[in-house]
Amino acid sequence: MMTIPPVVRPAKPFDLELVKVTKRFGSFVANDQISLKVPAGTFHALLGENGAGKSTLVKCIMGFHQAEEGDILVHGHSREINSPYDAYQFGIGMVYQHFTLVPAMTVAENLVLSRPDTPGIINWKDEMARLREFMQTAPFKMDLDTPASELAAGQKQKVEILKQLYLDSKFLILDEPTSVLTPSEADEVLGLIRDKVKAGDLSVLLITHKFREVFGFCDEITVLRRGQFAGHGLVKDLTADDMAAMMMGGQRETKIVPKAVRERGPAGLEIKGLCANKDNGVPALTNLNLTVHEGEVVGIAGVSGNGQRELVEVLAGQRPATGGELVVHGASYHGTRAETAEHGFFLLPEEPLRNACVPQMSVAENIAFRSFDRPPMTRAGCLVSRAAIRSFAQDLITRFSVKTRSPETPIGDLSGGNVQRAVLARELGPGTARVLIAANPCFGLDFAAVESIHGQITEARNRGVAVLLVSEDLDELLALADRLLVISHGEFVYETTPAQADIKTIGHHMAGH
Amino acid sequence: MTSESIGWWGVVLGILAGAVRGGTPFLLVSLGECLTEKSGKINLGLEGTLLMGAMSAYAVSYKTGSPWAGVAAAGATGALMGALHALLVSRPKVNDIAAGIAMLIFGTGCAFFLSKPYIQPSAPQLPAVALGGWSQVAQVQAALRISPLFFLGVAVAFALQWFFRATRWGMHVRAVGDSPAAARAMGISVGRTRFLAIMAGSALGGIGGAHLTLFYPGAWTEAISSGQGLMAVALVIFARWNPVQCLWASLLFGGAQAVGPSLQAVGISTGYYLWNASPYILTLLVMVLTCSRKRTLVGAPGALGSPS
Amino acid sequence: MAIPTGAVVVALALFGLFCAFQGKNPFAVFAAINKAAFGSWYSFQNTLVRAAPLMLTALCTALPARLGLVIIGNEGALVVGGLSATAAGLACATAPVAVVISVMTLAGMVGGGLWITVCGALYYQRGVNETISSLLMNYIAIAVLNHLVNGPMRDPSSLNKPSSFPIPDDKMLPAMGDSNVHYGLVFGLVACVIAWALMEHATFGFKVRMIGGNIRAARMSGLPVARLGLITCFLAGAAAGIAGMIEVAAVHGRANESLAAGYGYAGILVAFVARYRGLPIILVATLLGGILASGGILQRQFKLPDATILVFQGLVFLVILFSDSLYGKFKFFKEREA
Repeated sequence: MMTIPPVVRPAKPFDLELVKVTKRFGSFVANDQISLKVPAGTFHALLGENGAGKSTLVKCIMGFHQAEEGDILVHGHSREINSPYDAYQFGIGMVYQHFTLVPAMTVAENLVLSRPDTPGIINWKDEMARLREFMQTAPFKMDLDTPASELAAGQKQKVEILKQLYLDSKFLILDEPTSVLTPSEADEVLGLIRDKVKAGDLSVLLITHKFREVFGFCDEITVLRRGQFAGHGLVKDLTADDMAAMMMGGQRETKIVPKAVRERGPAGLEIKGLCANKDNGVPALTNLNLTVHEGEVVGIAGVSGNGQRELVEVLAGQRPATGGELVVHGASYHGTRAETAEHGFFLLPEEPLRNACVPQMSVAENIAFRSFDRPPMTRAGCLVSRAAIRSFAQDLITRFSVKTRSPETPIGDLSGGNVQRAVLARELGPGTARVLIAANPCFGLDFAAVESIHGQITEARNRGVAVLLVSEDLDELLALADRLLVISHGEFVYETTPAQADIKTIGHHMAGH
Repeated sequence: MTSESIGWWGVVLGILAGAVRGGTPFLLVSLGECLTEKSGKINLGLEGTLLMGAMSAYAVSYKTGSPWAGVAAAGATGALMGALHALLVSRPKVNDIAAGIAMLIFGTGCAFFLSKPYIQPSAPQLPAVALGGWSQVAQVQAALRISPLFFLGVAVAFALQWFFRATRWGMHVRAVGDSPAAARAMGISVGRTRFLAIMAGSALGGIGGAHLTLFYPGAWTEAISSGQGLMAVALVIFARWNPVQCLWASLLFGGAQAVGPSLQAVGISTGYYLWNASPYILTLLVMVLTCSRKRTLVGAPGALGSPS
Repeated sequence: MAIPTGAVVVALALFGLFCAFQGKNPFAVFAAINKAAFGSWYSFQNTLVRAAPLMLTALCTALPARLGLVIIGNEGALVVGGLSATAAGLACATAPVAVVISVMTLAGMVGGGLWITVCGALYYQRGVNETISSLLMNYIAIAVLNHLVNGPMRDPSSLNKPSSFPIPDDKMLPAMGDSNVHYGLVFGLVACVIAWALMEHATFGFKVRMIGGNIRAARMSGLPVARLGLITCFLAGAAAGIAGMIEVAAVHGRANESLAAGYGYAGILVAFVARYRGLPIILVATLLGGILASGGILQRQFKLPDATILVFQGLVFLVILFSDSLYGKFKFFKEREA
């Protein structure tokens, strides 16, 4: 029998291997017998679509979840990892998709706090001296006294990575670390990590779905699809098509919705000199001007956090504007109920359950939000007819194939895709929309749902609706938009059409140069 | 010497003395609330805790003859009430505010119920620290007879400040209150940290109650607190979640409470009852002036009051 | 309704234990409460007299709760409503009784309504926490009451208990038929039924529920959130104001510190147990009215202090909160299986 050596924090990278790991949530199998091997000192990519089970798998490595079956081998020994602290003891660290910095604390406080062996009483003089010393060797420089809340997204991501280096992790898991970075920032960060790997200081497991990063930085890939192993190989032996085939299962055929050729109609939505603040009172939008004509889709591209969310919230009436004006069909617009109905000003916001639904009200009631206070749903001027709401909703539920047990089910019980379909049914179903604001309408949905939503948006455009599409997915924008604007730091900095679009130029402007 | 003989100085002196004397319970309760809120939870039930502390301090001091045993009992009772509150708010779907109201009613009820035998007898009081020996004026001497719990409160204020900045546990409390997700990712147990913070905060609230029955006013009545535990919530907002600023804010509130009685002492009783409302009006004013819908307050724990 | 009912049963059991610790036989205590509250027509009348203000103060918490606001300024709104009603009633005391009562009702509604509207306005304008502000306003209301009955409104003949001048006996709210139950009960019942229809069946209630469920979705649908919120706050305060009016016009005949007898705080519990819905409030208020009515018996027969009732209320509250979290859990499992 082989004896298992006691845990000593490793000084060098080590092999990490998963053997037939299975993780279930109730009856749902998130990971089904997945095996994967990351040799010491390599850069490994874990590929897969949203919901393929990548995050669950790495959470098993980090000890957030415990796999029901299978083994995790660290340096050749089977190990139980029951908590992130155990993972730390093995020299495994992770940079999460969402930031794990404590906003109110300074960079120095965040770094010291992240250490599991922080002393009970902290001698700040010594700690600061040690931190400065560490910063000398760090790949990026950072001011230690800045509160994390004041850092830009890219800087936060760098602090997250610094944190792992400060903890002396030898196996680094990166969960889509570049989703909040500009392409150039992403290259810089991954490049510096790549250098560390090459120097033999680190192994990396990178979760991503960007091929560019795979080809630029990785040695090897493992692909998951719907919770199952879907392929593996060395990057140098594979082409992008091979990888895409593994990820999609070879059935991806983007159906392009035919765009009718139209004359540009009159102005539907005009945004004039719009200004708005972020939650913390800092300006998010400064003097924004834009006209969306009827029968046109205007796309807005940008790295998240550059004012898109605030723009959509102002349009939705969820955030007050600090300056400027909205004009719809030539009339000043303030988002009152009478105005939304008169102008057919409808929205498909991101996170529909949070932004556009009342979770504890029924599907039928949610579908009636735009029309419950008008006949036939209102009787005697002030009473709501449940029967009328039900029959109105039933029709839309069928037409938009919303899967729900009954119209009376609380909408919060539905899956994300069905909530999105219910909102789509409410906003586009009656066909009264004349202005449509869509924000990341396909986020987190499967291909079938994405296609149907893209179809609905294009159809609305063809009908003459003025569509403003805010998206973080450049492919989606290029497919749907007639015009494309780039937003950076709350201003439009570049305009182009999909036909003339050059990805490099767009990326350059997204980065705010 | 009568109070008239020092005239209007009597009013000023009365207010200053009241600031320390009446501010002590504010100080201890607001420090307790500050610690609780730093961990991301609101405890409206501190009013009930304060009353339970006041009642148990008085009862134990009477039974044992030792006021310090009373203070310890108040702290222990407070911790127990805190444990109950913490248990409640750690459950899914339980709102802090609703739990606070429940604890408020329950604590008040229990305190009133259990206190019945202690309304008549007088319990040994805490010894005052006399700092007025240098003065010949009786009022000055009286004003400078200071509660030992005030000094405890001042020490706790500075200790908490240090605790949040330079200890691991203190930083854990801040992390849990500001971003539970980040804390969890760092392997900090959010539930346990909050539980302990709420318990310790409630113990301070209980000790604040001990000041009421064992120093000033120094006897048990059902009207002894009249909302000081609730005002602590506003006071913490006013102090921007900073323990040392809680000290200044408490003195201000204590002083406001003493305006009516001080005026009455020099024979001005017009509006006596309205002056009684001054701490509440002050609290409301403070909240109106410091709150804003447009931005979150500087220093506010990021996850305050949101479900865990 | 199953959950609150179950929780009340558990709270009763805990309360029984509490009594047993005090050396009282819990079953004897329960029997005494039942007898004192519902045992005879005479005692039931007593219960109903107490239930009437409870129904109205419960609405003060229940209506804004549907909006997502936790208002607990019931006691203050009741006091201010009672004060305004007294002032208005005294001003027109020579008019016929119907006019006096109408004027008092209106004044009580406006007084209480504006009082809670202030909390709503502070919330919508400045983001001031409505729970804390409404609670502070309770203390301010009581200070104002004390100031007025000790000063400007004081009847010099009220020596032991400073009070306002009395409403003439023939201008007071009479009892119904030959019972001891005054017409205040009708006010309470009608208010609850109106609240139920408004919240469950009217477009107004639909809008309020949208705001309470998700303010972002409500804003997106173009609802005037602040205006609807202020109207709801006014209605809530008005209900508690009527309770104050009833206490003056049907019970005390004058404004004094008896107005702040705790109906406001008990109303919070009624609203909470009734899940903020109009019709269940009628039932829960009657039950709690019965328990309040039995306070005297507990004191005389068992030497249990007044605060016993408060302990019981606290227990019910705690147990229901606790059971809510369990309820969520069961539902969670059910969904996962489906």
